[in-house]
Amino acid sequence: MSSEEAPSAAMLTVFSERRSDLLITAREMRAEGVVSLTLADPGGAQLPGWTPGAHIDLLLNDAVRQYSLCGTPGDQHSWRIAVLLDPDGRGGSRRVHDTLQVGDQVAVRGPRNHFPLHSVPRYIFLAGGIGITPILPMVAAATEAGADWQLYYGGRSQASMAFLDELEPYGERVALWPQDTRGLLPLDEILQNPADSTLVYCCGPEGLLTAAEQRCAAWPSGSLHLERFAAKPQPEPAAGQAGEAPFEVVCQRSGLTITVPPGQSIIDALDENGVSVLSSCLEGVCGTCETRVLEGVPDHRDSLLSEDEREANEYMMICVGRSKSDRLVLDL
Amino acid sequence: MNDPAGPENFPLNCWYVVATSDEVGRSLLARQALGRRLLLFRTGDGRAAVLDDRCPHRAAPLSMGTLEGDRVVCAYHGFTYAPDGQCVRVPSQRHVPYGAQVRSYPVLERPPFVWVWPGNPARSRGTEPPDLPALREPGWTVLGGAREMAVNYLLLHDNALDRTHFPYVHPHRIHRGYVQDPPPLRIEVSETTVSYSRTFTPAPLIGWQHDATGLPADTEYVQRETGTFVSPALHVDEMDIIGPDQRVYQGVFIRAFTPVDAARTLIIWRGARNYAPGDESVTARLREVYDGTMTEDQPLLEAIQATTGGAVGYQVSAAADAAAIRAYQIVEALLAEEKGWAYPRRRD
Repeated sequence: MSSEEAPSAAMLTVFSERRSDLLITAREMRAEGVVSLTLADPGGAQLPGWTPGAHIDLLLNDAVRQYSLCGTPGDQHSWRIAVLLDPDGRGGSRRVHDTLQVGDQVAVRGPRNHFPLHSVPRYIFLAGGIGITPILPMVAAATEAGADWQLYYGGRSQASMAFLDELEPYGERVALWPQDTRGLLPLDEILQNPADSTLVYCCGPEGLLTAAEQRCAAWPSGSLHLERFAAKPQPEPAAGQAGEAPFEVVCQRSGLTITVPPGQSIIDALDENGVSVLSSCLEGVCGTCETRVLEGVPDHRDSLLSEDEREANEYMMICVGRSKSDRLVLDL
Repeated sequence: MNDPAGPENFPLNCWYVVATSDEVGRSLLARQALGRRLLLFRTGDGRAAVLDDRCPHRAAPLSMGTLEGDRVVCAYHGFTYAPDGQCVRVPSQRHVPYGAQVRSYPVLERPPFVWVWPGNPARSRGTEPPDLPALREPGWTVLGGAREMAVNYLLLHDNALDRTHFPYVHPHRIHRGYVQDPPPLRIEVSETTVSYSRTFTPAPLIGWQHDATGLPADTEYVQRETGTFVSPALHVDEMDIIGPDQRVYQGVFIRAFTPVDAARTLIIWRGARNYAPGDESVTARLREVYDGTMTEDQPLLEAIQATTGGAVGYQVSAAADAAAIRAYQIVEALLAEEKGWAYPRRRD
């Protein structure tokens, strides 16, 4: 191409999430096995804003872990996370508990929010254990907005339940439910009356989330909002079904067609072919790689989409999702 | 992509620049911004106050009245208001009628900008407008101005995040790196921000860069640029020239985009540089660059606004639009959060 031609600015666009190295400015034990870390820019610069329900990735050498922001969204100079020590976990929480100290720097990605709080007149908040973290800024925001709300907070024992001091001022709006003295959260009672102008926000262990999903089946579609910390158990595909068969993916915008072989994810297959999609958890939990489906029937294997959303086939998480049809056309 | 809905498609729970500090004094200033008529003034102790410019009695603009001490007296019947909007006197009767109050807005002044929060005041508590070090730290020479464009504010964000229109709209203002093998544009997102950055291979300076920095025109320098959608109210970009001895010639262009209504936007802008301190001729040269760039964009953007009627409604986007698309998505999410929940609806 000669330089006399019209300006040509063929330009590569590289998309990534904001990454920063933050300083740990405070570290506090909040309950048995729960430590909170306060993070700030080493130079004191403002941090990007976030809204209740947002989380960040902590980049720990070889591990990436997601933690909800549980401070005050209005505080533009520090973020707070809380980490439960999981002795059986993959080691990320152990590393946070054992090695991170005030004065250390940690690499952080985000924030992003796949659990946003929507304005409605009334909320029911359900928190199990460390699932209280995204709920803390939510109850503060609901209070500021003048909404009616009730929080049911369950945990193994009172001593294991973090942030009780910060919930205390809310008085009777907060019902504490330590399992050793009160048993499991009485979801049948809490969720017995579906209400039109009420949203249910739930975060905690899988058992609580599954139970909340069952109890909310009779509620208006879209009433229940969940945040999972780990992937939802997926049913095994029946033998001989499309589960592990190869399929074709057409990237509509880039005009690329690839074949995804058994055992490889869509996102990896795309990456090998030069189509890089923003992703984070790679297990269908975080929602970063959500992609619009233009044609075909996805085999959803994520823990994010509701039943209605799965049936709508409009979006899928391509880090875990596969295809029930021979061909998927994606908006990529 | 969906259009961020509504004729007024700006989030309310956000700090917006409605005036500069020098505009707000001991007299009443009327300003149309944020879909409403605002009244601005300064109290005796120097605090900026912002009220609705409308007397709740018979809707006379309070800006037609007078400022007596710290009180605003309506020109029509003399209803008198304190800086917090409370009516303190009704001349025709002994008692102030129930509900006689003008809406007042949370204000934070960070000179040279006066920031206002049009949303829920409770949500403004503890928050601050974006920090702009180039406007408060020593070592910077600042110029600026304001203009109104007949466009929706999102179109200005789109334009500010877009680097690929420069060879077409501003061809004489760019160095060759924009058109000859442009480096990858790196886009970084967070929940509420998006920014781009790129570093060019060494290129000769073009006319205005040479005039402003005093660096020789025949030498090649590395340049880098970044730009950030900081909030729906603010875009900040920076163009740096790495000069001799690694000295960085920084130019920061700060644009506050304040929706006037769905089809008009007030741009209050500042250009800050860390070189040629106080040099009036450099200031004049850069003023022409900033003003000229906006003047070149304006007819196109206003024509686009007239074509689309303000809805985003584009049919095609290119890879280079990734940053702008992300900004639309951020605004869409903020609006969805403010406008509440409708059934059934997609999780977003």
